[in-house]
Amino acid sequence: MALNRPSSSHSIFKKRSAQSPASAADYLSALSQADARARKTSSSSSSRSTPTATPALSFSSTTTGASDDTLLEGDMDNSDRLSLPPVPPTSEQVFTTVHTEFGHCANEAHRHTSQHDPNEKIRHVERDPPYYILISTYISYLILICLGHVRDFLGKRFHPSSYKHLMPRDGYAPLNSDFDSFYTRRLKKRIDECFAQPVTGVAGRTILLLDRISPDYNHTQIPTGTRTRALNISSYNYLGFAQARGGCADAVEESIKHYGVSTCGSRLEGGSCDLHTIGEALVAKFVGAEDSLISSMGFATNSTYIPAMVGKGCLVISDELNHSSIRFGVRNSGAHVRMFKHNNMANLEALLREVISQGQPKSHRPWKKILIIVEGMYSMEGTMVDLPGLLKLKKKYKFYLFVDEAHSIGAIGPHGRGVADYFGIDPNEIDILMGTFTKSFGAAGGYIAGKKALIDRLRIKGYSGPYAESMTPPVLTQIIASMSSIMGVTGADKPSSQIQNGHASPLRIGNGSSSTINEEPEYHHPGPIPPKYLPSWLNLAPELASGLEGSLRLRRLAFNSYYLHRGLHKLGFIIYGHPSSPIVPLLLFHPAKMLMFHRMMKDREVPIVTVVVGYPATPLITGRVRFCVSAAHTKEDVDEVLRACDEVGDVMDLKHGLGRGKRWDIEEVVKRAVELVNMKQEDVDDA
Amino acid sequence: MDSASSTLEPVFTYVAHSISTVEQAFYRLPGSAIIERYVRSSHQNDPGRTLLEVILIILVIRTLMQSRTRADRNGKNFIEFSEKEIDELVDEWTPEPLTQPLTPAEEAELSAVSIVAGPNGPKPKLVNTGKTAYNLASLNFTGLAGNEHIKQKAIETLRKYGVGSCGPAGFYGTVDVHLELERDIADFLGTEEAILYSQGFSTISSVIPAFCKRGDIIVADRGVTLAIQKGIQISRSTVRWFDHNDLRSLEEVLQSVEKERKKKRAPLTRRFIVTEGIFERDGAMTDLPKLIELKTKYKYRLILDETFSFGSVGRTGRGLTELYNVPAEKVDMLIGSVAIGLCAGGGFCAGSKNVVEHQRINGPAFVFSASMPPLLAVSGSEGINVLRSSPSILASLQENIHAAHAILDRVDCITIPSHSISPIIHIYIRAPSNTLHPSTAAVSTKPSNPVSPLPRDAPQWDIEGEEKLLQEVVEEALAQGVMITKAKRLRGGMEISEARPSIRLAMTSALTKKETEKAVNVVKAALVKVLSKRR
Repeated sequence: MALNRPSSSHSIFKKRSAQSPASAADYLSALSQADARARKTSSSSSSRSTPTATPALSFSSTTTGASDDTLLEGDMDNSDRLSLPPVPPTSEQVFTTVHTEFGHCANEAHRHTSQHDPNEKIRHVERDPPYYILISTYISYLILICLGHVRDFLGKRFHPSSYKHLMPRDGYAPLNSDFDSFYTRRLKKRIDECFAQPVTGVAGRTILLLDRISPDYNHTQIPTGTRTRALNISSYNYLGFAQARGGCADAVEESIKHYGVSTCGSRLEGGSCDLHTIGEALVAKFVGAEDSLISSMGFATNSTYIPAMVGKGCLVISDELNHSSIRFGVRNSGAHVRMFKHNNMANLEALLREVISQGQPKSHRPWKKILIIVEGMYSMEGTMVDLPGLLKLKKKYKFYLFVDEAHSIGAIGPHGRGVADYFGIDPNEIDILMGTFTKSFGAAGGYIAGKKALIDRLRIKGYSGPYAESMTPPVLTQIIASMSSIMGVTGADKPSSQIQNGHASPLRIGNGSSSTINEEPEYHHPGPIPPKYLPSWLNLAPELASGLEGSLRLRRLAFNSYYLHRGLHKLGFIIYGHPSSPIVPLLLFHPAKMLMFHRMMKDREVPIVTVVVGYPATPLITGRVRFCVSAAHTKEDVDEVLRACDEVGDVMDLKHGLGRGKRWDIEEVVKRAVELVNMKQEDVDDA
Repeated sequence: MDSASSTLEPVFTYVAHSISTVEQAFYRLPGSAIIERYVRSSHQNDPGRTLLEVILIILVIRTLMQSRTRADRNGKNFIEFSEKEIDELVDEWTPEPLTQPLTPAEEAELSAVSIVAGPNGPKPKLVNTGKTAYNLASLNFTGLAGNEHIKQKAIETLRKYGVGSCGPAGFYGTVDVHLELERDIADFLGTEEAILYSQGFSTISSVIPAFCKRGDIIVADRGVTLAIQKGIQISRSTVRWFDHNDLRSLEEVLQSVEKERKKKRAPLTRRFIVTEGIFERDGAMTDLPKLIELKTKYKYRLILDETFSFGSVGRTGRGLTELYNVPAEKVDMLIGSVAIGLCAGGGFCAGSKNVVEHQRINGPAFVFSASMPPLLAVSGSEGINVLRSSPSILASLQENIHAAHAILDRVDCITIPSHSISPIIHIYIRAPSNTLHPSTAAVSTKPSNPVSPLPRDAPQWDIEGEEKLLQEVVEEALAQGVMITKAKRLRGGMEISEARPSIRLAMTSALTKKETEKAVNVVKAALVKVLSKRR
């Protein structure tokens, strides 16, 4: 069973000759020219406000200066073909992001907008593989399970010392029972190579892996001390804000100097600072709700605030694929739970009719309230919630709606405001908007937004308010900077320090904050925010403040998502989910293919790191690899992933999706990428 | 009759034919003879068993066919309705509002929460008053907040790692600095390994269900904090409670559990004692050596929450284990907070290799959450370095605690339940003399019922009234330039028992002894002023 790692020297995946890499000297000279231009433009002050056809990413001249020391850290040889773009920038183009963190892409054709087309169907269609795949997958698991039990049986008799921790010992029951840990020991352990790989540096467009080997079938992992730079299509870095350089990082540095790293306590017990109120007002504005609250951990946002909304006598109806944090919160709340089939509105309606007519079990009293919890985008399927369908039901059945936008906020919608934005629906129709900052904003933690009365109640009734540590200032600053750069700031051309005369009227929680904020008439997408929403010391770089860069990131992400999704589909793979979702799951089925796929992608000339998931995160047979596209990727990066998948897919027999006649070959996909992305969904299959 | 049998003839032959085909196909299968022999012999021995097994098979198939999302139509309590009736019921049903709006009192309390403008520290500027105040509310025991060296390190980390880690630990969210902090914590405490969670509060709520399953036994203190209560609740284990910080009561409960198990002849299950080092609810401290003795004697595993004692007691802040000179290895799962003890973010669980590795796959808040931002992990590591290299910080913290106690002990309208070296000092209002204070109440000889989280003769307090008085004290102290806070609770039955209202002072080494005395004297004056008005 032990698969021998193919030695990297004669891997079959090196047949493609490397494109002549841009020579380091060329690149440097272009860079220094770009630097000079950047310095000139920044010194000639506000003349930047008119964007050129290519809104180049230029944060500040200092980052360019800083970026070359990063580049010169031995990466200039570009032997991994990841450190430098394939085409060196012309002197017209000013890129000041580090290419390894945020890819350089100046081609305006490689942009797209994620927006709902009224004709499009939202139903989740699961494509089934041929029967031989299904049967052999079941057989693989059967073999694994039988083999595992045989090994346990023999091992316990011939090698009892290695089973000591599973046996009762000196009157202590074993810490984890033999039976409970069977899956972990006998199935997961075999593919442990795919999990918990230690990394270093920024989880941006590329990531630095700390290489490790296991001499004893994954029982121990030994770091080798070497590092490998790999193309990162695995991190939740949708908008590419995971950066150590650039305007957001500058703002965070400023905040650490000013605030330190901690706020020392919970929100209600001396751990609140002005940044929290500023951040909460900004989040409310961003998602289009009256008020919001921020929690220091995404998981805890669900697990500690759901119990404050529902309790005994209430019913929670939860999508069957909801995240563990939601289940944790619901279980702690004491409410009754029912589940409905993933994204299936007919099933939900039948359930609603049943539960409302039957009332509470046994007593048949009417439910106090019914809360439906769904996710905006599902992290394992890439499917998008059928929000219009839900809202139609909501009118009739009067339930409350909780949408967990952990993966959709910032990532979809023409303005990046999540599913409501994508469908063009007023976010106020959703009672509770929850989301996280880990994914699109390159930060950590989560928020809940809604009506002011609800949020205030949650502030004192949620577990986090009195007990959990509040969010730290650097994380808050990252959120404020990245979020305001998506929204844009009005009057951004003027230096912001003049506009603000200190924050003498801080937004106090619970003191009519929303009324002071919502002075402007309500309009659907609030557009740029007035500078009073930002902390006075924050001097956002002009590109961020203008909102140009934010919108560029959104459009790059949409292009990459559509391209990878449709490209893989056209190559013949079975892909789940919605094309505008940055999560692209590719079905592998067999447990052994999960390991092999991971390894073959990582051992390529340009290493690509992937996330493979199987049971119990997915149903037993639908093991898959999950790509997470980012705005930081360039079209060439997505090409690279597609080429890799094409080669690996042929070797591993993964193409069971589109019929052979309708497929495109890889060169055609790469060549017709822009056409593919802009196609109507119903035409994709037949093109 | 005859004609009927002739028309049925082809049907019978068809049935007979198909049965023989199935039979042949069955015998062609390898191993079918064994099955046949088994079925025959078992039927011969016990015909009832065949029936039982057939029923079993049918049941298994039925269970498998039912999906998780099936409608619960077969229950005894199901009432059939017509579509029209359902429509009427749907129209009739009016849900309660999602949440009740705040009462004026709650609103006042929420807007009275102190908010710091700018950096937090021993003397922050407050948004509420616009002035600086002495800070006896925020948890900054060793004054690490605002430490310039830590800030510098955090900025360096920011410039190398960015802010977010953008992934759970399993999927490229394990950054080298997380592993370093885990190692630093394990080295600092002297355990084999440690595991990091991204929020202090969620740590123990996740550690408990990672180990304690249905059928396991948890023996817990009645005065544990909400995080532990929730962890216990979600674990679905059998819970037995012992009186708050009373190890004699613990021993009685342990004996009764053992007796119960012997009586039922129940199999050996995992057994845990869950308690806190310094209690969040009142600042009392556990007698660790005695606790270890009991746990070893009765063969329990110990889950010890050191959220408030890690980074605050012991010569270098290693917590209770250092204070009592108990090797940390004796505590099976030692939980602490990086956010509180080291002024960074997140929490940890330290223990043996098995304990830690188990959580890497089974700790819900570890597996399903993004790992903590690298710059917070580095700040934590630097915090440990500071504690290691300058034990004088802990000494001055203790000096301040001592000074505070010296002042507060002379105030007669309050009682202090906290231990004399605890960095958090809770202040209760002394009950008016006509009602019996629980500590002076006649101690009942009968032990409490271990199944109930409430002790026998649970004392009753005028929660609303006391809260209101204490809030007045808080506001009075703030007006005099000292920021303090009430211990905030979830009221209305959300916690297992209503904690007694208190003011929670958090001591810090960042204030000098003089400043501490000045601040605590202000608190004392506010207490006296407000509480003397009451009578």
